[in-house]
Amino acid sequence: MSNIKLEIINLRKEYGDLVAVDDLSLSVEQGETMALLGPSGCGKSTTLNMIVGLEQPTSGDILIDGKSVINTPSGKRNVGLVFQDYAVFTNMTVEKNLAYGLRVRKEPKDKIASEVLRVADFMCLSDKIDRKPSELSASELQRVAIGRTLVTNPDILLLDEPLSNLEADDRNRMRRELRSIQAETGQTVIYVTHDQIEALSLAHRIAVMNFGHLMQYDTAENVYQHPQNKFVGSFLGNPPMNFVKGVLRKEGDRIFIQNGDSSLPVPTDIGSKIENNSGLIAGFRPETLTVTSNEEDFSFSAEVLAVEPQGPESVVTAKFGDTQVKVVVPSESESATDGNKLNLMPNFDLLALFDPDSGMRLMKHGG
Amino acid sequence: MSSYQTTNGTSPASKPGRYRRFDPNSKVLIGPLLITPIQILLLVLLVFPFMLEFFVSLTEWQPIYGDIWTALGQVFTEPIYQGINYNYLVTDEPRYLSALGRTLSISVLSLCLEFLIGLGMATIFLKSFYGKRIFFTALLTPMMIMPVVVGYTWYMLFQYNGPINQVIGWISGDAAGSGGVEWLNSATPAFFAVVVTEVWHWTPLFFLILLSGLNSIPANPLRAATVLGASNAKIFWTIMLPNMKGVIIIAFVIRGMEVIKLFDEVVLLTKGGPGTSTETISVYLYKLAFLDFRIAYAGAAAFIVLIITVVLINLMLKPIRYQLLEAR
Repeated sequence: MSNIKLEIINLRKEYGDLVAVDDLSLSVEQGETMALLGPSGCGKSTTLNMIVGLEQPTSGDILIDGKSVINTPSGKRNVGLVFQDYAVFTNMTVEKNLAYGLRVRKEPKDKIASEVLRVADFMCLSDKIDRKPSELSASELQRVAIGRTLVTNPDILLLDEPLSNLEADDRNRMRRELRSIQAETGQTVIYVTHDQIEALSLAHRIAVMNFGHLMQYDTAENVYQHPQNKFVGSFLGNPPMNFVKGVLRKEGDRIFIQNGDSSLPVPTDIGSKIENNSGLIAGFRPETLTVTSNEEDFSFSAEVLAVEPQGPESVVTAKFGDTQVKVVVPSESESATDGNKLNLMPNFDLLALFDPDSGMRLMKHGG
Repeated sequence: MSSYQTTNGTSPASKPGRYRRFDPNSKVLIGPLLITPIQILLLVLLVFPFMLEFFVSLTEWQPIYGDIWTALGQVFTEPIYQGINYNYLVTDEPRYLSALGRTLSISVLSLCLEFLIGLGMATIFLKSFYGKRIFFTALLTPMMIMPVVVGYTWYMLFQYNGPINQVIGWISGDAAGSGGVEWLNSATPAFFAVVVTEVWHWTPLFFLILLSGLNSIPANPLRAATVLGASNAKIFWTIMLPNMKGVIIIAFVIRGMEVIKLFDEVVLLTKGGPGTSTETISVYLYKLAFLDFRIAYAGAAAFIVLIITVVLINLMLKPIRYQLLEAR
């Protein structure tokens, strides 16, 4: 395919005995925004550094526009990197910062001047062009850092935790700005972030990583709604996905997951494909549960342990078997009081069944 | 008991009563109390001798003239003495002026060499290489050796029949004992012998300061420049060196103050000779004050050096003065 901008093939990075990135393969299309999401130490920053060429992979290949860049030095890959701490050159004015990339490429002076003006205008820095970085706010520094890479017109713009050093106010504004920058420039953008909200709101596709492995690479919606393994389910969402460990039982035409004294009904079309008495883990998101007034065919009951009001919604912690499940209910819900029994109805389209040993999803979404 | 006045009216310790009690939390008192002893010590040990020396330097007093206080009185009663030494030094004493000039040229030449070599070594030490730790310790050793020992070591090395001429002989093919350089007995080689000794002795300090400076440059701007396409040389000139400005200046100031006082090595190497061709200002002052006992005259000479040093050091500090004095 011609519109694949970046392709990563079996990428592996070792530091001594530690495998930071293991067998990572993914591709990003032109104009797409991709987020590398994972907890700290999962290998996402290492991956980023290998894409821009600051680190050399142990094995595997990186292709930009179909050409391997593994042996191309960092400065010649035409990728832009924005650092978490912005890494603005403190000894230079905003103008010199913006011009740096073109000056080291020995572009003609008049071209540099016009490009710098264009980008300064685009990044709303026109009136700060003569300032030193020490006179700028955090979000202005961030804009200098982004502008500095945009001036060089990179094939891929990579942002390492772009919002985590900003105040909450600036963060929301910058998130909007980043989205509009991407929309206006049509840039291929790769974010590295540990913040799921950031990934979900900014990226078309999300690559979730853990311990150097790619856990899932899919659209933002699919990663959230149809996690391919327990890790993705637990890493995304606040509160995270509920997991109920149990054994699948088939009694007549009733199929359910047994956990202690409690049982979670499973629709026959899902349950019939799984062997009787096999252990598994059911995963469902707190907001996919609805409280029903009476016991219905596929509902289950759980005892309310605690209620945390969070404005319009409340997070209810309820006891189910020997585990606890979280439920998001509207705050006006009267049944959500301590000690009360709740009848809960899961959305079976979004119920995921995982293998208890590997944590992998038993049936792929749609399968 | 105490008559300490506190301004902290709300403190429970300062309730009206027969005695005002000492309030240990009073900021008005605690600061002056803490610094007063050292201020007094400074006054006795530094300011008073300094003033005394200044007044003595205005007279022609020598120890054989007896009581110094009488001489001091003359400063005010006999105006003819006022500034006589200063006048003489700057107009009629070429030995003093050339010692001053020589000290400055030794200083400038040595500091520049120390800076360049130190910076080169520090840049090498940014990368890892085999034996780095051992080299690091070895390279720092010279500055830990006493100046007298350094002076004597190089005195031995620079002998006409010494190792340096031997090596030159091997290279040039001359037999040992012929064609060597009279390092310490001819004017120009002796000058460079002093510079070499000084550079060998104190390059490690430059190296250490510059290395810590290079290491304290944040890594990300350098990486950002790499990704933007800058070469290592470009990064060095456009980002690393500008970021090192303060450190470089501080290194020059610390070494500058010391090298102007260069004494031990010169005394051990040449005693200022041959003739006065390697006489630094300290050596000159020493001979004047402690061999000729012209105390007042040496005092005046030293005062001029002090003024030059203060002015030079402040000029050097000027580019980072604002930064240093900025309140946090």
